[in-house]
Amino acid sequence: MKLTSLKRISMGIILAAMAGAGAPAGAHHSFAMYEPTKTLTLKGTVKSFQWTNPHVVVWLLVQPADGGAAQEWSLETTSPGVLTRAGWTRQSLKAGDRVSVTFSPLRDGSRGGGLNSVTLLDTGQTLVPKFGKEEPGLK
Amino acid sequence: MGTRINRLVFVVGMIACARLAPLPAHAADQEAINRPAGAQDWQALAKLPDWNGVWTPVISDQVAQEKSNPPPWTPQVAKQIKHMYAEEDAGRPFPVIDHCFPTGMPSWMLITHNAFEILFTPGRVTILGEGDGNRLRRIYTDGRAHPADPDPSFHGHSIGHWEQDTLVVDTVALLPQAYLAVNEAVGVPNNGDMHIVERLHLQGPDTLLDDLEITANKVLSKPWRTTRKYYRQRAQKYDIVEGVCTQGSFTEAVDKNGNAIFAPIKFHNGVPVGSDSK
Repeated sequence: MKLTSLKRISMGIILAAMAGAGAPAGAHHSFAMYEPTKTLTLKGTVKSFQWTNPHVVVWLLVQPADGGAAQEWSLETTSPGVLTRAGWTRQSLKAGDRVSVTFSPLRDGSRGGGLNSVTLLDTGQTLVPKFGKEEPGLK
Repeated sequence: MGTRINRLVFVVGMIACARLAPLPAHAADQEAINRPAGAQDWQALAKLPDWNGVWTPVISDQVAQEKSNPPPWTPQVAKQIKHMYAEEDAGRPFPVIDHCFPTGMPSWMLITHNAFEILFTPGRVTILGEGDGNRLRRIYTDGRAHPADPDPSFHGHSIGHWEQDTLVVDTVALLPQAYLAVNEAVGVPNNGDMHIVERLHLQGPDTLLDDLEITANKVLSKPWRTTRKYYRQRAQKYDIVEGVCTQGSFTEAVDKNGNAIFAPIKFHNGVPVGSDSK
């Protein structure tokens, strides 16, 4: 048996062990689970602004109209690198900020979506997670 | 006594012969070294084209080419691909990159939304990307050949050479599990024996083209030729940032001892559904 074959088997065992130890969390994925033809708007308070690869997440606390405990929503967007090139920073949002968000909702109705825009209610500033202009430049 | 001496001479002679015998070919390979770079090696880099800055894929072109120049899938794979497109349309995207492994080759060059940079050093071109934890390509331009039996990896073993201002890269030894993907929800593992030849060159001052020819006989009915575009930005505020994919599966937390830790986030069907693990 060639060494390479042994290594392949070892890799297979490691991968199988990883799969058994707990399914991958699923951090990196397509955005097709969000319904692109629908746009919802929510107002709430930022619980936390998760500035991580591969996707940045705005965790939003929303007070239900009929009272009751605040509900947590996850609003996902692209990566820190892409957002930086769209003018965002990791300080763009912080816990406690009052915001209005627009997003494409999860198709299964869960409390989550793909972020389209976020507006800071205290300043009126709107941030959009666009992918840039696809144009070269110095600035 | 004489016989003993003869025996001793014979044994010593055998040992000497063994030491002087030519080394087997694989042992000779192991003795290849990365030689010190001299002034001439560094000066030679000045003649290479200017690829400094940050290169970001033209995503609109990726999307357009996905439709206009799809891979020549084998009939069996074409059925899988058709099913994946249907699942994507239904909002159940297949998790091509869900596991946070490196996107790997050739999918990195084909489908990524994230930027990369290209470094020239003597005998080497290195491409460093962001978006997953180990997104880097080492392309040896020192004249070496591929190893006889290289370890398979997500990015493969790459050797390159310059033809005027075009970098020609030959890549083998890719893991069979490395995806040949056309978007983040549609693609298949190459299943082995994939070979990629690329020609990287500028088109105008700030557009880089990668002309790829991908031979993957387990999943393609013939070699697939395609081109991807990247645009350059020079502002330092756009410099490449660290991109550790698994970090997105965790939230910042503090343990009972006051230590800053990462705590897992709850996921459901691939998307985050709870900002803490409770």
